[in-house]
Amino acid sequence: MRNGRAFWLFVGPFAAGLLVFVYVPIGWSLLLSFFDARNTVTPTEFVGLRNYADMLTDGPFLSSLGTFSVFAAFIVPLTFVLALALALLVSQISFMQAFFRSVFFLPTACSYVVASLVWKLSIFNGLRSGLANTVLGWFGADPVAWTVSTSPPWYWLVLVTLRLWLQLGFYMILFIAGLQRIPAVLYEAAALDGARSWQAFRFVTLPQLRTTSVAVLLLLLIGAYQAFDEFYNVLGTDRGYPPFARPPLIYLYYTALGSGGQDFGHGSAGAVILTLLIVGVTLLQGRAVRR
Amino acid sequence: MISRRRLLSLAGASALLAACGSNTGRGDDGQALKQWYHAYGEPGVQQAVERYAKAYAKTPVDVQWNPGDYDSKLATSLLSGGGPDVFESTPQLSSVRAGQLVPLDDVFGDAKSDFSESILATHTVDGKIYGVPQAVDMQMLFYRKSFFTQAGVQPPSTVDELVDAARRLTTGSVKGLFAGNDGGGGVLGGPALWSAGLDYVRDRQVGFDDPLAATAVGKLRELYTSGSLLLGAVKDWAEPDAFVQGLVAMQWTGLWAVPAVVKALGDDFGVLPFPALSSSGKPSVPVGAFGAMVNAKSKRIDEAKDFVKWLWIEKTDYQEDFNLSYGFHIPPRKSISEKASKLTSRPAADAVKFVRDNAKASNPPDWTSVMRTAFNDAVSRVVRDGAPADAELKAAAGVARDELKRLYG
Amino acid sequence: MKALRYLALSIAAVLFLVPFYLVVRNGLVAESEISAPSWTFLPSAVRWENFGELFGNPAVPLVRSMVNSLVVAVLQTAGQLLLCSLAGYGLARIPYRYANVVFYFVVATLMIPAAVTFVPTFVVVSTLGWVSDLRGLVIPGLFSGFTAFLFRQYFLNFPRELEEAARIDGLGHWGTFWRVVVPNSRGFFAALGVIAFVTSWNQFLWPLVIAQDQDSWTVQVALSTFLTAQSINVHELFLAAAVSITPLVIVFVAMQRWLVRGVTETGIKG
Repeated sequence: MRNGRAFWLFVGPFAAGLLVFVYVPIGWSLLLSFFDARNTVTPTEFVGLRNYADMLTDGPFLSSLGTFSVFAAFIVPLTFVLALALALLVSQISFMQAFFRSVFFLPTACSYVVASLVWKLSIFNGLRSGLANTVLGWFGADPVAWTVSTSPPWYWLVLVTLRLWLQLGFYMILFIAGLQRIPAVLYEAAALDGARSWQAFRFVTLPQLRTTSVAVLLLLLIGAYQAFDEFYNVLGTDRGYPPFARPPLIYLYYTALGSGGQDFGHGSAGAVILTLLIVGVTLLQGRAVRR
Repeated sequence: MISRRRLLSLAGASALLAACGSNTGRGDDGQALKQWYHAYGEPGVQQAVERYAKAYAKTPVDVQWNPGDYDSKLATSLLSGGGPDVFESTPQLSSVRAGQLVPLDDVFGDAKSDFSESILATHTVDGKIYGVPQAVDMQMLFYRKSFFTQAGVQPPSTVDELVDAARRLTTGSVKGLFAGNDGGGGVLGGPALWSAGLDYVRDRQVGFDDPLAATAVGKLRELYTSGSLLLGAVKDWAEPDAFVQGLVAMQWTGLWAVPAVVKALGDDFGVLPFPALSSSGKPSVPVGAFGAMVNAKSKRIDEAKDFVKWLWIEKTDYQEDFNLSYGFHIPPRKSISEKASKLTSRPAADAVKFVRDNAKASNPPDWTSVMRTAFNDAVSRVVRDGAPADAELKAAAGVARDELKRLYG
Repeated sequence: MKALRYLALSIAAVLFLVPFYLVVRNGLVAESEISAPSWTFLPSAVRWENFGELFGNPAVPLVRSMVNSLVVAVLQTAGQLLLCSLAGYGLARIPYRYANVVFYFVVATLMIPAAVTFVPTFVVVSTLGWVSDLRGLVIPGLFSGFTAFLFRQYFLNFPRELEEAARIDGLGHWGTFWRVVVPNSRGFFAALGVIAFVTSWNQFLWPLVIAQDQDSWTVQVALSTFLTAQSINVHELFLAAAVSITPLVIVFVAMQRWLVRGVTETGIKG
């Protein structure tokens, strides 16, 4: 049993923390989700599945999943394509390669809060003097209230470009690492077969990047699923959050913790549903990759 | 403070886990009481409240100024043990039911009769008072007299005239009206209801489940689509910047802004209540007062109550300073408001008159944040997205009905 | 073709750098040059005195919140590396009857991003009385199943010969880990450490929820508060943002090699 003691010496502290800060919260949350837990975390009124029924029929939660879908539909393919393009461009040059790589990677140093500040108050502010409006002005167009306007919903442009800027470099690095793992002989063989560069891309690069691509897609999807920071900081005001563009975590924040009523029953039910959804997606992805 | 004590308790990996068991929480070891304010926009208020707190001899008091989304922050902190001991807000039925607030009846003493009854009523739930009113705030419509004369427009006395005036006063670089960057959905929802003779909650029932509500809110949509609203201003409706910079002919803001507007525009402006929609409705102004309240989770409720009593009952000179030296507020105490000479000259005097004749409670205790969120969201969707007003309001009324049923049984 | 590539890269590089330029530009000009009707790319005058104004403004707890962020990031990085590397090593190298059970216990948490469960975690942490407390900011973020998993994978591939040599010298698991394994894994620790530091410095949702006292604000919470309230001068806000990213830019320049490795390790093996 000496091994047992050594094992717990190494793993024990971590496992205990995992228990207290991951498993206990989820368990407690599961419990809360079956209670009417407004303004309290130690409720007494059992309501069965009512909170779940509310969440799945109630507009706001479902529409927050819709908001996530819209956001993901923009950000996932855009980041994927542009990060791959940057990776290909950067890895095909030799002069100043490190410089370009560093420049594209640098935004990773920036927080979503700082990026929101620049996007909201400088690039996309609603005044004539905002950078985007200045550019519009060159073409004689009227200034646009980017973050306030809902028809057309210009705020998507703000939110999507912000996240693109922040995360492109990160995914570019992943693709570069993936590209470096492709054996050069494959390209040589393709060249011998007379493949043109796009054919080499189509029949060598893309298939060889399969593992990287799947990982990138999953990471992008999970990232979009957890979107909170830029939504909160670009659209939130001192009077709360507008009734549009609420992704799931924004919705949960205002339901459980914000001014929306300290409702831990519904908030917990929402957290449980979100957890189940993401676990489901991960398991599906795992099965897809194994095949 | 990042107390050095807490830092030390973290030192070493073993302490990381040992700390899980300990629950020192906030000390009762002579630490300061924590008092929260939301961020007032007028210069000097923060320094003033810090000065008051410093003058309190019995217990040290730390003032925290909270810019940003104060309501959300307060809601989170009242749930957890980490919130303030004393804070300003308006009591909500839901918080009272959850036992988050301490009744303060015994704090008032003889001074109770000195407070305006209608204001005290907005801090009373089931016969108990939960907040000591600090300052009465009211919102109203500011209009630029010279712009109106130039355009040959009369100050509006009905909602239709307001829509019409906003349209006619919109010229080139000047917009007719500024009522918030969201197009008025946030602040004009209540006035729209009142303009039609409706209300948020009436006799424990939803007060806006009525076809007229859709008509009234529809007027806000009309305003929004008329192209006469200013949107995307740097400072929102609570600050008078857009109005004094001449970007708009009318702005919805509050009495607190009067000193700043007088300073910038002299007497080239007037004030109005939100007009009536029809003969069944009345002109209205939203009125509410933040009160000093005590957190039921505080470990030092008695000290907190003593402090509230000292500052908001006994120190009438501070109360006068707070109400009148920065932005304008109406003192909730008759003895102070009666001698407030600053409120007797024109625009401010009009506001006082509106409060007497047209006041509507902006935050009644049984209009909880859940109902308010549902209602404001509905109005906003109607105004900004053109969602059907009757369906949106019906859904909001449903939410409000459930919440009222839960709270009143 | 080559010229075209460089042209595309240069345009992209300019676009990537503009936001950084804007932070610095708007931080160092007069307020009027941010909202002036006709905006110019280059400011007419640089005002270095903005620094004095920002650091002299008692309403903006910039220094305090930077210190908080630094303390949180350092403790979180050190704590996470320590706890997760120990756990990873134990899972990889110490045979034990229930090791598999514990491994599944850890792996199961990989599927659940911490942000998704912030409401439940808040419930637990507030019950512990850790709201507005350094412990509440730091400790819940220490137990990353993902980092432990990465360490385990890494230690599985660690050369056994080195460990066996240590064993012959009479070292137990504990001694082997500290004297042989850790010193030979510095690069891996550095890579994961840099990632942990950057992530911790930039995190927002959890500090927003837990740091309610102004004294416990991290720099992201402080910036966000003034951003959503717009209650201070905009140029001060930009300058504060510029100050807040300086530590990380230094980390980037000094440790880019480890950072890139960290990104690759954490990104692909996930």
